[in-house]
Formats: sequence, structure tokens, C-alpha cells
Amino acid sequence: MRSATESGGWPAGLAALAGGAPAAAVPLLEEAAAAGEGGGLAPLNLGLALMQLGRLAEAVPALEAAARALPGHAEPAFRLGTIAGLRGEAAQAEAHFHAALARDPRHVPALAALAALEEESGRIEAAVARITCARLLDPAEPELDVAAARLALRLDDLPTAIARAEAVLAQRPAHAGAARLLARALLRRDGAEAALVDVATRAAADPTSAGLAVAAAELHGAAGRYPTALAELRVAAMLAPDAAEIQAALGLGLADAGRGQEAEPLLRAAIAARPGDLDLRNRLATVLWKSHRVSAMLEMLEEAIRAFGPQPILLMNQALALNALGEQAAALEVAEAAVAHPAGGTQALMNRMAVLPYHPERGHAAALLAAGRAVAARLGPAAASPARPRDPDRRLRVGLLSGGLGQHPVGWLTLAGLEALPEAEFDLIAYSLKPRSDTMAGRFRARCAVWREVGALDDASVAAMMAVDGIDILLDLGGYGDGGRPGLLQRKPAPVAIKWVGMQTGSMGLDGLDWMLTDHWETPAGFDAFYAERLLRLPEGYVCYLPPAAAPPVAPLPALTRGHVTFGCFNNLAKVTPPSLRAWARILAAVPGARLALRTHALGEAATRDRVRARLAAHGLPEDRVALEGGVPHQALLAAYGGIDIALDPFPYAGGLTVCEALWMGVPVVALAGDSFCARHALSHLANTGLPDWVAATEADYVALAIERARDLPRLAALRAGLRARVAAAPLCDAPRFGRSLAAALRHAWREWCGPATPV
Amino acid sequence: MTAPLVDRLANQAHALLRDGRAEEALPMLDRLGRLGAPASAALRAEAMLQLLRLEEAETAADAALAGTTDDARLHRLRARIRLARGHHAGAAEDAATAVMAAPGDTAGRLLLATALLEEGRHDEAIWFLGEAWRADPGNAALQARLGQAFMRAGRHEAAAELLAHCEQQAPSTPGIAALRAQAALLADDAPEAERLARAALARGIVEGAVHSVLAHALVSQGRLAEAGPHFAAAARLSPASHYLAHLAAASSGTTQDRAPEDYVATLFDGYAPHFETSLLGLGYRVPGLIRRAVERLLPAVAAGRASLGPVLDLGCGTGLAGVALSDLLHGPLTGVDLSRRMLEQAAAKHLYTSLRQADLTAVLREEGAAYALITAADVFCYLGDLNETLALCRQRLAPGGLLVFSLERAEAGAGWRLGPSGRYAHAPDYLAACLKAAGLQALECREEALRRDGEASIPGLLVAAHAIGH
Repeated sequence: MRSATESGGWPAGLAALAGGAPAAAVPLLEEAAAAGEGGGLAPLNLGLALMQLGRLAEAVPALEAAARALPGHAEPAFRLGTIAGLRGEAAQAEAHFHAALARDPRHVPALAALAALEEESGRIEAAVARITCARLLDPAEPELDVAAARLALRLDDLPTAIARAEAVLAQRPAHAGAARLLARALLRRDGAEAALVDVATRAAADPTSAGLAVAAAELHGAAGRYPTALAELRVAAMLAPDAAEIQAALGLGLADAGRGQEAEPLLRAAIAARPGDLDLRNRLATVLWKSHRVSAMLEMLEEAIRAFGPQPILLMNQALALNALGEQAAALEVAEAAVAHPAGGTQALMNRMAVLPYHPERGHAAALLAAGRAVAARLGPAAASPARPRDPDRRLRVGLLSGGLGQHPVGWLTLAGLEALPEAEFDLIAYSLKPRSDTMAGRFRARCAVWREVGALDDASVAAMMAVDGIDILLDLGGYGDGGRPGLLQRKPAPVAIKWVGMQTGSMGLDGLDWMLTDHWETPAGFDAFYAERLLRLPEGYVCYLPPAAAPPVAPLPALTRGHVTFGCFNNLAKVTPPSLRAWARILAAVPGARLALRTHALGEAATRDRVRARLAAHGLPEDRVALEGGVPHQALLAAYGGIDIALDPFPYAGGLTVCEALWMGVPVVALAGDSFCARHALSHLANTGLPDWVAATEADYVALAIERARDLPRLAALRAGLRARVAAAPLCDAPRFGRSLAAALRHAWREWCGPATPV
Repeated sequence: MTAPLVDRLANQAHALLRDGRAEEALPMLDRLGRLGAPASAALRAEAMLQLLRLEEAETAADAALAGTTDDARLHRLRARIRLARGHHAGAAEDAATAVMAAPGDTAGRLLLATALLEEGRHDEAIWFLGEAWRADPGNAALQARLGQAFMRAGRHEAAAELLAHCEQQAPSTPGIAALRAQAALLADDAPEAERLARAALARGIVEGAVHSVLAHALVSQGRLAEAGPHFAAAARLSPASHYLAHLAAASSGTTQDRAPEDYVATLFDGYAPHFETSLLGLGYRVPGLIRRAVERLLPAVAAGRASLGPVLDLGCGTGLAGVALSDLLHGPLTGVDLSRRMLEQAAAKHLYTSLRQADLTAVLREEGAAYALITAADVFCYLGDLNETLALCRQRLAPGGLLVFSLERAEAGAGWRLGPSGRYAHAPDYLAACLKAAGLQALECREEALRRDGEASIPGLLVAAHAIGH
């Protein structure tokens, strides 16, 4: 890759690349390649520089040009093969590597890369032969020892695997790959406990070895001791601050542990050091998602898609990001592309379920049912119901499956009701998918006889646990949301499965679910056809809202002092659809001086505010009359309702908890009811509080309703003054009453399963 | 590289411990230990305390203290460890050393007072807390602890006033709501205790202690069914408490074959300060019934013609049986109880030749001893299955020796059952079978009312037996 040609950008570009500044090298090398300097070496080095920057798509034409210009050179073909491999195109990659070897049979990296592809596709013998050949050519290369160790492990040749891994670590004590292989080989040879003792003994003799800390982390992780594994990774990272792979491993470990803030800088550094690692980018996207930096997430995914091609995992996350930015149509389009991808599988179908309910035109009840049925078809029919004693009146064991058993919408809308469920009749057992430690989580713990943290277990293990626990009724509180477990529901771990709060958007389409807990507002007579589940209607609302004990007092109507009405919507942007924006524009146009305040976590990011501003303008919302505010802690969010006169609910995906909170803070909500379950949440809560006249049936009615209510401030002020007391007295918050209804509904579902009473 | 590495490891370990992430600090502490870092022992002690590996924590704290004499921070650390282990005297010693080394330090004073309080040295605790509080009147933790000290010392009015003030000033002080409710309960105001506990729950406070006080307050008002779910909630929130687990099991009808030792000890430690007054108020008759059984069955002793002893008083409590028998005794009187606080009150009566804090079956297993009289007043009601205990009693009776005990009576055929009160009741036919199997013969088995419970009285049995063949 070095050349004697000396003129123009070519020597400077080469020097920049050699000096570790690929970004500076790129324009110089482009210039050189265009000028024909350096022969084929200019495009080749341009390709290398672009690869180092992770700009794989741009590197391809440069490398192809190099291959044409340097027909006897193996390197361009080898690099093209590497890129194909990163993009998941195994067959093309293999062809490129063969081409490289045809040009230079002694090209060690091509031999190693080809061996890796052969290993992945199960051609172990061929891979071993190739690595043996490569080691003869370059006996000092530790990466070949790593490959040899990995292959030996696959062949269960543990002495060789251990010897090769040890050889690498002797030379490079911070080699994470070799350390992991050593750990796995010891684990298989000696069992978990002895392997750990072995590694600890080695570490005692060599306390500054980073590799041994990685090995210990591997063993602790395999045994499910994640905090300890993370701790060993921390030690490894401190012992080897310059080892990119170890820093990456720690970044991933921290991301897994939900410690995004600590993980982010490590992951960013790791991506810079290893631009070809798709998993690192995807995991950083997840970290950004969890910290509500959706625009940064989208940017990172789009860059990854350009480099790595439209791989399903990237598309699915892109769909979620677009949706969270309120770009529902684009989101669904990308989700459909993931479904259409040959490798999309069940995950892509479930991902579509997370996006579809928000779509303003296509997210209707029948479409949700059809999309849910598509998931069911891919998952296969539900398993047979487990045997449980068919005694209609006995005490029942009720399982709760959720990642939201704490301060989470699931908690606010189910906890009070579950607490009111009579202990003597119902034993509750929690299957928590996400550990939480807030006070509401404490209340769930106080009500549940057994608590199981199962987030790290697969569907089969959780189902087996439920069978052993003897669950009679399973309440699903996750749906198709983040961390939901539709696959577990299809395993039918309990005779009666009921869908309740938690991404309760519409039918899940699963035959593993028996019932949907609902009410007469969510699903009036005639709606049964939209559901694969049977409808278990409670006499009043389908949820019981637990008002926050320390909510600030209701503030006086702000319009009285401000002289103008302030509308507000504190829902997430995914719900803020173009038709909602259109309606809001008409309302603002008709109410002189009125303002609109949008407040949600995603708006804390400047890039997202810019995107949203552009969309507001496109829908005719004047920029100076709309405030975009980021998320704030819960108390402050409630206090912010003190500045809102009327809440405008989005559609078709309506507010749920947001409606309850607005009402509790004295703010009435104008809503529009659609036909899907999630399009009727607001209707259920408003009707259950005696405010059905705040719900419109059409967009035009919605606009007219908001305008009419905004014109009568005395009436609005009077309603506001009494609203909290009204909500507190309404069935929405009447926990004892809800507890009785829920108990009766669960008993009814159970009796149905028990079958008709046998005459004595 | 080694010197800065040691510092970085120690700093990171320290930061993790500060965030309560002891498990993640352990591998760093391993390396620090091997690299001979001086701070490693203290950090390890702190980590082990967080992980509740208390024995290792104390060993590490000992090692950290080995090189120094007056490091207040290390003495406070060991005081916290010893408190967690229930070694209150040692904790008080460490805390006192820390206070002497750093007299102005509130944390040290608070620890010292806590240790003294656990030791039952209420007046000293009150003095230290009062001093500390005057120096730092805004400190809610001090105020709460002072209120607790008044409560333990039986000064209910002062306790209620202080705790109410503390809750008003700093409503988020951990444990304050439960303490207030508990103070009301100890002042015999169960409705007020209930009101306070319910208000705390309505404010969203989630503590096992609040549920526990509420449950006890409901039991005090005779509302056992309502208490059940709160005992269950308390037990779930405090999974390490055998006391609450037993009460939860009792209230839900889930059976264990005896009450756990911790339960009995906790129960009676809590009763001790006003045990006798409340029992006498409840018309407690068992010591007197035992005395009369002895008079009937050992007339020579009653007439002063024969001496009585040695005597073993199982579950002696505050020593009421000793009082009832005191003028008949002519040999050693040994008292056994699980509750240290009860034993302290028994000791104050100067009637017992020895008092032991132990499980009664452990004492009965000790070979060699032989007693002329074994008494068990209101003790077997904390056992379900009586077979083993009665067989052991039989082994410890001297020739001609007498066993006298009370039971709560269950209906015939019920065997034994755990009632919602947390006590067991036994059926007469079950008792007869146990006696026979143990090689004992009943001399008397009288139906007696043991004491009042609200308007009703607790039906019981007073049993006197001797070994078959005597």
C-alpha cells in the first residue's frame, strides 16, 4: 500500500492515513484517485480510509476501482469481502475472499476470514485446514491462535483450545477474545465452580491481568451473576484502559444493566475504534432510545443502514425511532420493509405491532387484528392448556406478567385494583420482566405472595416456572410493547390468559390469549368481531387509576389571568399524528390568542424540536403560538398542568394515563374516539368520570368541541375547581368497587374454563 | 503503573460503595487486597456490611482497626456492623470510642444512642440523643430516634409529641410514620395507631413496619380477619423477619409446627416493659393455677414438711411462676426464655438461681440435670407438635418429679392448630396421646380459663403429669 509516486494529494493523503487521520486522508485520496495518481493504490487507500471511518457503502466503489486497476493484488478483493461480510452477505464475501486468494494464495487475512465464514456455516474441517495453513505462513500472528482456539472449542478439543488461548494471553494479556475462549473451555472441562476457582487462582498470581478479569466476567455472566460480571469488566477496563474490545464489552455490560449514561461514552469510543461492529451501533441506538434522544438514535441508525445495508434489526429500530418522532407513516413503511426482508422473521412482525396502532389511517381495529393474526401464524398454534383442578370456587393463583410493576403506566392503572382484590380469594404471583425499586414497586411486592424476576429468562423457562407455580389465570400486562412476551402466551402456561393494561392497543391476535379485559366504552356491543380474544367487560372502566398521593394542588384556570386559552398535550410524540396537528391548527385559528403547549421527553432533544417545528409549520400551526417542552420529573409534569386550560388528546392513539393525570390536575380533555382499543382509552376514562360529553366522534366535532369549550371560561373554571373531587369520587378511582368487579370478572373467566357444573 | 492503578481501583471501589453497589466493588477489592493497598480492609468491611455478610465485615473491620487506635470513621463502621449483627454491647463500645475521638460528630452520637437503646439502656440513650439533638435541632433522624427512645422507655406522651413534630417537619424521614403509629399502639391507643398507619399507607409510604403496626392495631381491636392481609404485606416487605412470617402464616391459616425462635423472642422483647401489668389486667391466672396444682399434688411440700427443688421454669418470662412458687422453694430455680428483655425483668426479682436465654428444647436436651418440678406456664402454646418436647421433659424429671403446664384448648379431634393470634391450641385427645407416647401419665387435666381476651376468655387446660411407673 505504499507507493513511490510523488505528486499532488497522493503523498499527503497517504501520510494522513498512515498517521491515523483517515478523515483528513479521504479528500486528499479522492483528489489523487481522480487525478490518476498512485495508480490503483490511490482508490485502494481511499477505500481503506473510508472503511476505517465506517463509511462502508462509499468504500465499495473505491475498492472496486482498485481491483480493476490492480488485477494482481489481493487486497481490494479481500476488503470487498470484508464489507460484504459486515453487511450479512456471506456468499458474496466468500466469493471475494476466494478471488483474493486466487491472486495471492499466501494472503493470511483472507485465509482467516474465509475460515471464519466456513466456521459460521458449520464447515469446521475446512476452517481448521485453512487456519493450519495460515499459521504455517505466519506463526507469530495471535489472531490465528484465537481462531485455532475457537475451532478447537467447537470440536471439543479442550486441551488445544486452552493451550492456544493461553498462548495468546501470554503474548497479549488484555486480549478479550482469547480470555473468553479460555473461560468457556475451562467451564466445559471443569464445570462452573472449578473454572471460577481456576481463573481466580490465575488472577491472584497475576492481579493486573485484564484478560483474566474478562474470563471471570464471562464465567459469572454464564452463571447469571450479572452484577459480578459487570464488576469484573470494570476491573478489566481499569487494568487495560487502551483495549478497545474490553472498553466495548464494559459499554455493552453497562447498557445491559440499564446504565446508559455510563455506557454511552464507552460505546462511542468503541464504535470509533471498531467501525465495522454492527452490534455496537445497534446497542448505542438502544441507549439513545432509553434516554429519549430519538433524533440522535435515528441519525446513527441511518448511518448504519447506509454502511451495513438494510438489515432487519436496523430497520426495526429505525421504525421505532421514526414512530417516536411522530412520523408514523414513514415508521410503518420501514416496519413493513423489515417484515418483507427474508431475515425479518417473527421479530419484524411483532415490531410492526408496536408501530401500527399509531398510524392515522391504517391503525384501525380490523388492521390490528389482522397484523396480530400474522404474528400468531408465524408463532404457530398455542400449546394445550395445562391441567389444573377444575374447582370453580377455590382460591386462584393469578400470575402478573409485566415489565411495568412499579412507577409506570401499568402500575398507575392496575395497582390500586390489584390491592383491592381479596387476598382470601386470589393469590398473586409476579413475573417481573424488569426490576424496579420505587415505592409503587414496593406496593406490588406487598400484595404479591411470590415475586419472580424473570427478565433474563427465555419464554420456555418462564412458562415452565408458571406451570410449577400452578398459575390458574395469567394477566398479560405487556402486549407487544417493549419487553412484551407474546411467544410466552402462545406456550399457554396457564389455563386462562387475560390481556389487560400494557400496550393494550387492540386484539393481540393470539389464540394463546383467552380474554381481553375491557368495558362497554372500549368495546361496545358489536366490537367483538375486532378481537381474537373473548371480551371480558367490567361494569365500569377497565382500569382503576391510583392518583399520586403527593400531587400538587389544582391551580386556578390560567386563562383568567393570562387573557388567552392555553391548550396542552403531554402525550408522547408517537401519538401526535398529522390529523391531530391539522385539527389543532384549526382550533388555534378559531380561538383568538390561544396557545398550545406540547410536553414530552423526546422534545428535550434540540434536533427533535427542529423536526417537530418543521412539521407544525407544514400543518399550519403558527410557531409563535406553540411551545415545545421536554420531559420533567413526575411532580413537575403534574405541576405543569397548572398552565393548561384544556388538554387536547391526540388520535387515533388516545391518551391513557395522561388523561387520568390531566383530570386529576383539574384539566378536562377533548378527545376523539376511534374503533381500536387504544383509540378509545380517553373515552373510557372520561366517561367513567362522568364527562362523556368531552368526546367527539369525528374530527370536525373534535375541532368544534374544543372551540366551544374554550369560549366559556366561567364554565371551564367551575369545572376545574371541582374536577379533582369529582375524579376521586368517580368509579375511575374507586378501588374497593373496582376490586369487587375485577374479582367477579376473574371468577367468571375461571368458571367458564371449569365448564358447566357437574350435577352431584 | 502499579501506584496509580491502586488509587484508581480504590477510588472506583469507593464510588461504587457510596452508590450502594457493593457487589460490583468486590473484584476491585480483591485486586486491592492482592496489591497490598492500605485502604482495602476498610473498603471490604463496608462492602461486606452492605452485602449483609456481617461476620466477614467484622473480620475486615478488625483488620482495618488493627493498625490504628482512634480512627473515628473505622470505629463507626465497626459499630454499624456490630449493630447489624445484634452485638449491641460491642457496638456501644465502638460508638463510644468514635464519639470520644470526634465529639462533635452527629453520626457517631446517633450510633451510640442506637446501640444503647438496643441494649435497653434507655436513659443513657435519651441523654445522648437529647445532647445531640440540642446541638443539631434540625436533624430529623436524631429526633425520630429520640422519640423512639422515649417510646421504649415507656414515656408515651413525650414520644408521641416528638414523633408527631418530627413527622410534621420532615415527613419523609425513614420509618417515622411506623414509629408514630407504634407509639400510639404502645400507649394503648389502637384506633389512633390504626388511623396513623392507614394515613401513612394512603400517602404512598411502603414499609413493612407500617403494615405490621396496622395489623397489630387491628388485632388489638379484635379485627383478626382484617389484620391478615397486612401481616402478609409486612412479611413480604421484610422477607428476613421470621416474626412477621409466623404471624402472616398464622393469620392465613398456613401451618408451621412451631413458632420460630425469633418470633417468640421478638414478641416477648416487645411485651417486656409492660408485660406484667397487662397480663394482670387480663386476669392472667396460670402462675396461681400452677401453685395450686403443686399444693394439691405435693402436699408435703405445701405443708412445709418437704423441700422443693431443683425446679426448671420453661419460658419463665418476667418470673411470675417464680413469684408464685417462691415460698415453697428450697433448691435451685432455673429460668429459661428466648427473650433477653423478659429475662432482665426476671433477674430483677432475685428469685432465680440461674437464668438462661435459650430455646427450651436445647436446655431439655442437656443430659445430667434432673428436676423435681418442671413448669411451663403459657409456653407450649408456641409449639404445635408436642411429642418431642414432652419426651424431653420426661427425661429431665427426677424420680417422683412433677411436670405442670398450661395449654390453649382446641376441640377434640383437631389435633393441634395454629390460630390467627399466632398461638397454637391443642385438643385433649391429642394431648393424651402425646403424654402416653412420651411415657408420662396425667395426674390432673383441668379445664381452666387462662385469661380474658376482650369480652371472652381463652379456654385452656392445666395439666400435671409424672413419669409412668411412679
